[in-house]
Amino acid sequence: MSMGRFLLKRSAQGILVVWGVVTVVFGLRYITPGNPVTFVAPLDASQELRQQIATELGLNRPFYVQYFDYIFNLLQGDMGYSYIRGVEASGLIFARLPATLELAVAASIVAVVISIPLGVISATRRHEPADYAATSFSLVGISTPNFWLGIMLVLILSVQFGLFPTSRRGIGLLPALEMLVTQFQISGLVTWLAHITLPAITLGTYFTALITRLTRSGMLDELGKPYVRSSRAKGLPETLVRYKHALRNTLIPVITVLGLQLGTLIGGAVITEAVFAWPGLGTLLINAITARDWPLIQGSLIVIGTGFVVINIFVDALYAYINPQVVH
Amino acid sequence: MAHDEGTSRRKFLTVAGAAAASASVAGCTGGGGGQETTTTETDTTTETTGGGTETETETTESGGEGEEFAVTITQGQMPTTLDPQNHRSTPTDNVVLHAYEGLLGRDQKGKIVEKLATGYERQEPGRVRFTIREGVTFHNGDQLTPEDVAFSINRVVNEDVSIASPQSDQLAGVTGAEVVDGQRAVDVMSDGINPIVFSLFATYCDVMQKSWVQERSKSEIAQQMNGTGPFALEEYQSDVKVEFTNYEDYWRDPAAVTSLTFRAAKESSTRVNQLLEGESDVIVNVPPQDIPRIRNSGETQLSAAPSTRIIYNAMKYNVEPFSSPQFRRAMNHAVNLDSIIENVLSGFADPTGQPTLEGFFGYNSDVNPYPYDKAQAEQLVEESGHAGASITLHTPVGRYLKDVEIAQAVANQIDQLSNVSCSVKQREFATLAGELTDGNLETSPDFYLIGWGNATFDASQTIIPLLTTDGALSSYSNDEVDSMMQQAQSQGDESQREQTLQEVNQLLHDQAPWIYLNRQYSVYGVRQRVQWQARRDERIDAYAMAPAEGQ
Repeated sequence: MSMGRFLLKRSAQGILVVWGVVTVVFGLRYITPGNPVTFVAPLDASQELRQQIATELGLNRPFYVQYFDYIFNLLQGDMGYSYIRGVEASGLIFARLPATLELAVAASIVAVVISIPLGVISATRRHEPADYAATSFSLVGISTPNFWLGIMLVLILSVQFGLFPTSRRGIGLLPALEMLVTQFQISGLVTWLAHITLPAITLGTYFTALITRLTRSGMLDELGKPYVRSSRAKGLPETLVRYKHALRNTLIPVITVLGLQLGTLIGGAVITEAVFAWPGLGTLLINAITARDWPLIQGSLIVIGTGFVVINIFVDALYAYINPQVVH
Repeated sequence: MAHDEGTSRRKFLTVAGAAAASASVAGCTGGGGGQETTTTETDTTTETTGGGTETETETTESGGEGEEFAVTITQGQMPTTLDPQNHRSTPTDNVVLHAYEGLLGRDQKGKIVEKLATGYERQEPGRVRFTIREGVTFHNGDQLTPEDVAFSINRVVNEDVSIASPQSDQLAGVTGAEVVDGQRAVDVMSDGINPIVFSLFATYCDVMQKSWVQERSKSEIAQQMNGTGPFALEEYQSDVKVEFTNYEDYWRDPAAVTSLTFRAAKESSTRVNQLLEGESDVIVNVPPQDIPRIRNSGETQLSAAPSTRIIYNAMKYNVEPFSSPQFRRAMNHAVNLDSIIENVLSGFADPTGQPTLEGFFGYNSDVNPYPYDKAQAEQLVEESGHAGASITLHTPVGRYLKDVEIAQAVANQIDQLSNVSCSVKQREFATLAGELTDGNLETSPDFYLIGWGNATFDASQTIIPLLTTDGALSSYSNDEVDSMMQQAQSQGDESQREQTLQEVNQLLHDQAPWIYLNRQYSVYGVRQRVQWQARRDERIDAYAMAPAEGQ
């Protein structure tokens, strides 16, 4: 199979998955208890007012009419109007997406930067103090709940020492870069960094620990393989053997995991977003769920689901590119 | 070919490695960047500043007369919309009331005061007249007219005007409004006498400009503002912040606060940290466990006020064992309310013994909370014939201050009785509320904790929806209560009506359809640079804020 056909096949599968996501998400509202009208209308509203609101929101129409209507509108980029806020759901969702993406990417960067060197050191110095330190770190990192870590970081670094702001997103990355380019001001970028550091560490710690372990075990695996032994026998310098050959092969599965984790980070940043009052998709989704604001819930889930699918296809393509055997 | 692929793969890995390395460097400067921020931000004081410096700068600025005085308020949630008539949430109200105003308003204690109306009187049963204030302008510069007022009222009560407003029954009984010919006045019509009509207008119905509304889409009205209030909208970033500046041409003196920002943090610990760090000046809903941190910080203080919200445990009147008034009274005696208030709520609550709160119209000061008396409770259970009953208390999680903890304490105390066992079932508020509001009593739990806020300061707005047979949220039915409430709603004479309501409250105390629990307090954390007192109606009025003396 050529690379082109491989990608085409994956994309077609991806579209089917997205359609499945849309359908499941749409079906969810019918099995979830709690009528959206309860949240739009006051608790003591009369039954007539409830009826009126239900009609206005289009909830009285049959299931299939609502479903096909939704798909039809979705294909035109229309996710409907938020029940509670009365504004376009897509506008709200896409306004929130950059904050979440920034956080997820920053957390991934924290994870990659720390975990890969740590994993390598740990594997190459097996049973030495450095290895014990790295494995202990990854054990603690995996076991620490991130809401606790977030609160502790804020209490110590922000409240006690005043090094970072406690919460919020000071400025978006794009406006910060724009400030840099158009006004030659670095303060925007500095503010961005100051605000994102603690949330990124909080969100990234678990993945740092996870990838440290993955890198360590992968590296150990590679170092024990025959090609490493023969390279050494040929007289290649040890650094070349370790970092050029063994590390390269170790990174292949790590890249896959990283790609998939990015999806998880986007969907799972909810707790971190709550601790840091970060205006991302996670917070939006949780608020929408507690208010049964279905257009927002559906829209957010579809965006997250589609994000997962796209990342998956991208990782597959990358994997195929690095290791052509996959395509065949 | 194979060679080429190999080369590019190698290239890819090299690039990936380089990216990781540069990110590592960026990560390092990120840590230091936090420290740098402190100085940079002080110098620039741009919109995007964060951290303690923002307030430090503001503190210096707020030094003298006529200087900048910027205030940041952090609530649990951002407003859902900026349309003052298309929502039913307190956080939204708190934001929109700074730009929009009603005909009447309330002072800090809850007393009715004139706002956009300079006079209000009854013309005849079912018709009241408001005289509209002269010289009031909207933020776009246009004068306020009686047409705007009539339009605003009709927009709420009549869905044909613009929207089916979820606030229509906040103006219960009001059927419409019209401009009085030749006078600067508006007549409001009601079906029936509507004894609480002025009370309703003191709390609800913000005035909007007719032409401004008609020229805009629903979505635009939800994101822009044009009111007559002391603050004009400067910037709105949905879910991030709402920023106001004081309106220079306000019909009263311009506000002392020159710039006002609303933000939100769902997590209470996040809000407390923001306050302690100086990133926020006023925060809502301080949880009891954080009270010492705020008291001891030296720069922050607490401001608390009894709210208009009562927390209670409803018992369904037609289901055993709750069908027995003795059993219901027993439950009230079984609960040590003072202990719950002291230990769970750190003293920030008042005990109640009737559905109407102290300070409300119709409150009966002769009625006291049920005293804690375990022996009497056990004896009443025996008398009721339901000894050995096993009951379950349904409670929402995280909806009211310490709701689960209160429910657990109540259930535990009932469980201590020798002849009743009680457990708690935690519920998601959405599902529980759905069961209570579906108009079918059968689907409601038999025994549940819930809270009710009543911003009209009138007993009827609690008793009618919650304790009459046809009440939207009622799980109680008593013919005597029904007929007395009907009587109260048609009594034009205030003192007669007050007496009727007081009698109903006495009856409801004796019949004990609820376990009467606590009156919730609104507890705010406030920076000492801001002089402000918490209000009873859960509203945060920045117009009442001023720089603290010596700050």
